[in-house]
Amino acid sequence: MNAILRTEKLRVEFKGREFRQLPKVALRGLDLEVNAGEVFGFLGPNGAGKTTTINVLLGFIQPTGGSASLFGIDVRQPIARQRIGYLPELTYYYKFLTAEELLRFYSRIFSLPRAEAEKRIDAVLKLVELDSARKRLIKTYSKGMQQRVGLAQALINNPDLLMLDEPTSGLDPLGRMKVREIIQRLKNEGKTVFFSSHELGEVETVCDRVAIIAEGELKAVGRVGDIVGQRASLEKAFLDIVGYQPQSTP
Amino acid sequence: MNNIFAVAGVVIKELYRRKDFYVLFILTIVICLVMASVNIFNDSQIIRYLKELCLLLIWISSLVIAITTTARQIPAEREQRTLLPLLAKPLSRTQLIFGKFLGCWLACGLVLVCFYAFFGALAASREHTWPLLNYFQAAFLHWVMLGVVIAMTLLGSLVFAAPSSNSTICLVIVLAILCVGRYLDLVALSLAEPGRSIISGIYYTFPHLEVPFGMRNLIVHDWPLIEWKFVALDALYLLAYAAAFLVAACLVFRRKAVN
Amino acid sequence: MNSAKTSWLLLIALLVLCFGLAANLQPKFQSLESSRRQSNNFFSLMLGDSSRIFANSFFVKADAYYHSGYYPTIFDNNEAFRTPHMAEDTGAVASHNEGEETSFMGPPRDWIDAFGRHFIPNRHTHLDEGGPTDDLSTSSEVREILPWLKLSAELDPENIKTYVVTAFWLRTKLNKVPEAEQVLREGLRNNPNDPQLLFELGRIYFENYHDPARARNIWEAALRSWARQAPGVPQSDRLEKTNENFDNRFIFEQLQTNLAQLEEKAGNRDAAIARWELAKLASPTPDDIQKHIDELKQKQTAH
Repeated sequence: MNAILRTEKLRVEFKGREFRQLPKVALRGLDLEVNAGEVFGFLGPNGAGKTTTINVLLGFIQPTGGSASLFGIDVRQPIARQRIGYLPELTYYYKFLTAEELLRFYSRIFSLPRAEAEKRIDAVLKLVELDSARKRLIKTYSKGMQQRVGLAQALINNPDLLMLDEPTSGLDPLGRMKVREIIQRLKNEGKTVFFSSHELGEVETVCDRVAIIAEGELKAVGRVGDIVGQRASLEKAFLDIVGYQPQSTP
Repeated sequence: MNNIFAVAGVVIKELYRRKDFYVLFILTIVICLVMASVNIFNDSQIIRYLKELCLLLIWISSLVIAITTTARQIPAEREQRTLLPLLAKPLSRTQLIFGKFLGCWLACGLVLVCFYAFFGALAASREHTWPLLNYFQAAFLHWVMLGVVIAMTLLGSLVFAAPSSNSTICLVIVLAILCVGRYLDLVALSLAEPGRSIISGIYYTFPHLEVPFGMRNLIVHDWPLIEWKFVALDALYLLAYAAAFLVAACLVFRRKAVN
Repeated sequence: MNSAKTSWLLLIALLVLCFGLAANLQPKFQSLESSRRQSNNFFSLMLGDSSRIFANSFFVKADAYYHSGYYPTIFDNNEAFRTPHMAEDTGAVASHNEGEETSFMGPPRDWIDAFGRHFIPNRHTHLDEGGPTDDLSTSSEVREILPWLKLSAELDPENIKTYVVTAFWLRTKLNKVPEAEQVLREGLRNNPNDPQLLFELGRIYFENYHDPARARNIWEAALRSWARQAPGVPQSDRLEKTNENFDNRFIFEQLQTNLAQLEEKAGNRDAAIARWELAKLASPTPDDIQKHIDELKQKQTAH
């Protein structure tokens, strides 16, 4: 299968703030591949390097070593992001714009022709159920509405790869279901979804493959069933893989 | 270029949806109208003091709008986390910087059009003349000068921690240039070394923004047009400085973490 | 309960003390205040004594307007602008100017300065002599200096020059004689019996209202006021050619010269000659005046 997301020996170090402080290694030679058309879960405890990996893939930070590519294009090229959609964990958008204006702005950056852009705007606003509020300024939106705007902007360019960072964080059960539906729909359309999450139950339900990362290293990658193996659940498997030792009770 | 214009469009929308411009514009109008109502020896044709006051208010307002609007562009994006979804699009950091610059510059251009239109109307109400070319020269160089200020402030927003400190520093530098920039070489001559060399160096390297500022007197006192070649030369000179500041901003921004 | 009562009593005692102090100090304070403090001008009150500095800068600003913006800054050679030209041209203010007025900026210091001069007023002009366009029909543009003069007068009502200059331009170039008279009377209210203001008022009556009798009265009153400025000091001392006496001599000479001209016009040659003799004492060109006196005497003898 052709990998549309690939990292090879990806290494990221952050310089220490104090004088003579050793650099902090966030990623240690990460090798990762995500194939077209699959839903890929990216798991790990806090501080494992998930966000750093996503930041490298999106061009926010430069890797210290190794390489990363999207659709065969080095992530340092802006064009690598032409076919992706990104939903950050915390969604904030320009408060002085309306949802419609925001989507129109992003579609212009994607160089969508105007007619197509208008169609896409109508489609995604209907999908996230913001059609009635499209002409209101974003500053008047509730938190849930702002998150839906986030989802809309991630889908505006009909991306082949959707990258979601904690997509269900802070959502109510209805919102979570909506996100799951969208992920499933995209999968049915042959799109690729790459998302990091702490909701292992959700990951178990929707993902085809998962990768588990801890302390900057890839600990396990493969189909959910293969990783769970003989263990009771993905959660147990996760805890075993990251080396969690339960503290003995006094 | 499409991306640059897209970013610029958002900046312009932000400016006309914020209240700053309207407050300053209305304040300028009110002050000028109040001063115009003063009875000076029953002579209704006196206009130059009004023109000077109006132009001074225009300069102050335009500098405040340019600096405060630009100073908050990148820091606000970073603080409000709108930078991440933006840079996750096929938009390079250089395009973002140029887009922000163009947006602020065009927005200031629109502001100047409004202000100078009011100025022209005020002057014409008493002088009954419309020296449009003179106003155009002054407004054009004023706009180009603001381009340098915007580029400098944009660089400052990437170097300094807070928009407030950036705004203050840029405003102080610009005001210092406007007030004493022309005479810095004379000040240098009065100092001993190494102060003399330092001040002389500053005199020859900083952008001489006071050149367009001095044109106010030509407008107020109805001097003839400046030769167009000098206007063009000064515009090129200022644009070169703006370009230098922008390149520096791009280089600094490339190495900055965005989150 | 007791502590509350004590607090109230203390408060009342403090209020009584404050009231007593205010009543005691107010008359002393009033005697220290200068008359300017009683000005009803808002800016004068707010600025206090620094209003004089502002008044002076606005007076200079008026001269900058007189030159259509071509004016030296503190960095330039301003020897030729010590006495503002708008004041000098009235003929009522002594000039302390030296040097070349057309090139205070000097040659360009470098290419930046040379280039920058294309964007500022760079030629010496006067508003009443055509201004930057050299159009003599626009001599009434001198009205543009009036706002600054008005402001200067309001901030420093004790500056005589401001009233003199304002009145001169109002009556000569703008044909606003009643306004000019009003300005001078305002000046006299703030500076009673000032000889210079009386001189200017006399000029209005002589040159504009064509009332020589009234003009003579006013000028003679001005001379009496001039003499009273230094009681006990002999006239010869005040007319001695020293720097300190420059303004004294100037106003004395102006008054005597104008009275002499008035007497000549009225046909009173003896009185005219007497006035010319006095004017000669203070004049920088006594020989010219002597020549004129000789001519008058010759005419008198011929008759």
